[in-house]
Amino acid sequence: MDKFLYLVSEGMKNIWRHKMTTFTAVFSLFLALFFVGLLATAGTNTHKILHYFRAKYKIEVFFKQDVSNEEAISYIHRIKRIEGVRNATLIDKEDAVRIFKDQFGEDILDILGYNPLPVSAVVNLTRTSRDPIKVEPIIKEISAINRVEEVRYQGNLINKIERTYTRILDRFPYLAGLIIFVAVLVIYNTVKLSVYARKDLITSLQLIGASRTFVKMPFIFEGLFIGIFSAALVFPALIGSINGVNYLFMNYTSWGIKLIFDPTVLIWLFALVIIITFVGSYRAASSLLK
Amino acid sequence: MIEFQNVTYAHEKGNGVNNLNLSINEGEFSFLIGPTGSGKTTLMRLVYFDLIPDAGTVIVNGYSSGKMSKRKIPNARRSIGMVFQDYKLLRDRNLFENTALPLHVLGFPGNEIPERVEEALELVGLEGKDAHFPDELSGGEQQRACLARAIIKEPEILLADEPTGNLDPVSSFELVRLLESIHETGTTILMASHNYNLIKGRGHPILELKEGVLRGR
Repeated sequence: MDKFLYLVSEGMKNIWRHKMTTFTAVFSLFLALFFVGLLATAGTNTHKILHYFRAKYKIEVFFKQDVSNEEAISYIHRIKRIEGVRNATLIDKEDAVRIFKDQFGEDILDILGYNPLPVSAVVNLTRTSRDPIKVEPIIKEISAINRVEEVRYQGNLINKIERTYTRILDRFPYLAGLIIFVAVLVIYNTVKLSVYARKDLITSLQLIGASRTFVKMPFIFEGLFIGIFSAALVFPALIGSINGVNYLFMNYTSWGIKLIFDPTVLIWLFALVIIITFVGSYRAASSLLK
Repeated sequence: MIEFQNVTYAHEKGNGVNNLNLSINEGEFSFLIGPTGSGKTTLMRLVYFDLIPDAGTVIVNGYSSGKMSKRKIPNARRSIGMVFQDYKLLRDRNLFENTALPLHVLGFPGNEIPERVEEALELVGLEGKDAHFPDELSGGEQQRACLARAIIKEPEILLADEPTGNLDPVSSFELVRLLESIHETGTTILMASHNYNLIKGRGHPILELKEGVLRGR
């Protein structure tokens, strides 16, 4: 037990003895973990931005002139059953006159003496689908209703947004992998340099008769402490950054997007830093042992 | 205690030792003398298994180089104390921490360590300097600190490789006297030196190495 406590205390003392090396290691680790954390948060919030855009998707369905409000309602029920449709709202002939007046400032009944505007519907698409929305099959199905005169939609815009989302989703794992790989390299090399700087200690311990485990343990504890310090700095920094972004979204945009910070990211980051610092310090110390 | 049987070791860039046969008994104080490059340090490194012979066998305290694995080397070294010309003290630790290091390695209880360190420092004449760092000590004091670290674990064998190499004549003489007093407690000592004047007439066997070959005893 005394031996174990000594090794733990040595790990802690080494941090104090080598303040500059420790500072460099903690700072490098902090930066690497911060970017990984931001990436993870971005990953968990990508769908929110997509949902925001999808909420703007709108398909306008114009029925034939002689379609009555009641008849249109039955078609709207049919439209609602189409996969990918979230909602469909009827705009009857009277509503159409009111919308016309709102948009153009003129009452069409006064101008023409009759109401030429057809019954129409506004169709909204599902927002929460994980898969990209394919709007063409929905349009095709609506157009197949023989009492539909015209379907208007933002085809290019929807396709562009969905394509971009698919691209992000496809590349996200590679990007995350790359950033984590760089983070691992940074952390590993920092720990390794810190161990190399104390080559004389390793030599002395070996000459005294210390076992390989005894030599390695203080470095491993030191690495773990550095990891814990870094994680302790990263957690508030991440939460603060996300709160800051949310403040900007809420006060300076009309998007209504609020980023959510997933607490499991902290657990993953902590696990990541522990594994990396353990492996880094273990391997670095091992490479110096003859 | 220390036995060399037809031991040969060659360094990549030459030198080393060639077909050495020697035996140092328990409790013996021997000097190893020879010019620079004669193989004194190689012989010492073979004793503490820092080098494994190309041919022949080194046997130290029952540990044989022929059966030595990396895992066993630390065990073999635990009964050997070492003093080096360049001291090998840790600059970032004070004298207390440097001296106590072997006790931590051997797993001594924490409450016994301060007393033992105090005794060892007193023995080498460094009492009251336990809070000093190596750079705050003179060469002679650093060498005595190195000696304190070597003897604190009460080793069966004490190896001193050119311990007076960086010391003035007075400090060198005092160090040899110190080694002799440690020898009186029953410790086997092998001290390498190229300073014949320092070791002559002290009544201890002198092993002479020249170009890796043992010339006489």
